[in-house]
Amino acid sequence: MADKKTPTINPETNPRGIPVAPFVDNVTDYVSTRADVEPTLRSFQEMISKYQFMEVNTQRRAAGLREKIPDIKKTLEMVKFLKMRRDNNADPLETNFELNDTLYARATVDPADTEEVYLWLGANVMLAYPIGEAETMLTEKLSTAELSLANCDEDLEFLREQITTMEVATARVYNWDVVQRRKDKADGKGDEDDDTAKGPSGA
Amino acid sequence: MMQHRMLAKEDEVSAAGEENEVRREDQEKINRFSRLHQRETLLEEQLKAKQKDKEDLEEISMELELADEDELVPYKIGDSFFQLPLADAQSLLSSSTEQIDSEVSGLEEKLSDLRDELQQLKVALYARFGRSINLEV
Repeated sequence: MADKKTPTINPETNPRGIPVAPFVDNVTDYVSTRADVEPTLRSFQEMISKYQFMEVNTQRRAAGLREKIPDIKKTLEMVKFLKMRRDNNADPLETNFELNDTLYARATVDPADTEEVYLWLGANVMLAYPIGEAETMLTEKLSTAELSLANCDEDLEFLREQITTMEVATARVYNWDVVQRRKDKADGKGDEDDDTAKGPSGA
Repeated sequence: MMQHRMLAKEDEVSAAGEENEVRREDQEKINRFSRLHQRETLLEEQLKAKQKDKEDLEEISMELELADEDELVPYKIGDSFFQLPLADAQSLLSSSTEQIDSEVSGLEEKLSDLRDELQQLKVALYARFGRSINLEV
């Protein structure tokens, strides 16, 4: 969603190209008669929906990363441990490793045999890495994932601000309408509309 | 997420009044508030999870004090258990504990700074908008 924006049309965006919501300085810049109220509210609502759509997507992406990061960390921890053992020429290790969910088997791992480790890269591919390279790669993957998560969180906060801006704008236009309606009524040409102020609907 | 409430008749009058026009700086404060509020929720969640991990680690450290020195301890790294001598397990454990301690105190610090700022914003916004704004969850 970041790369299809043309900077000339939308000069104000956040680093990932999400546009800034317009601030309504003066309600009357947007609505001059009561007839304008409904289309304005509708267009505001549409913008909110767009932001919310992005919000949901970003939330999903963040949740995925939050799941992925501990996995990378676990693998990295293990690689580091094996490397440390290897560097210290430690004795063979007795392990209970997970064979399947809730099923553990016993194995002896000799640090001398851990010159290479096998990393699951996804897409049914597993690759042998020298242990040092594995550590470097996992460290890189971890920092990339953490960076994307930080970006996601930043986007989510940004989106929240834009939604808030639009919600405030909606409430103000709505209130303006209520005041207008009262004035009309006071002038004697008021319709029989219900004139109770209430929050913007559907926000 | 957002709750609506009906305004009482007397609040409503001031809500629509001219003096309560939302200026850009007000909007910025409101936005800052909602940004920080969202961040607070996230940090609280993280802190809770970390505190639980911390408690678990502390509990294990206590348990290990009582363990037999001659027996190997199955210590979990990644998804597997390694049979380690007690001393090794304890040193791995203490480095994990140190790390989580610093993470927890880092989060607590961030949260308290954040809450201070939220409080200031609340005071400023309530001073300006009175009862026509609702900043409680």
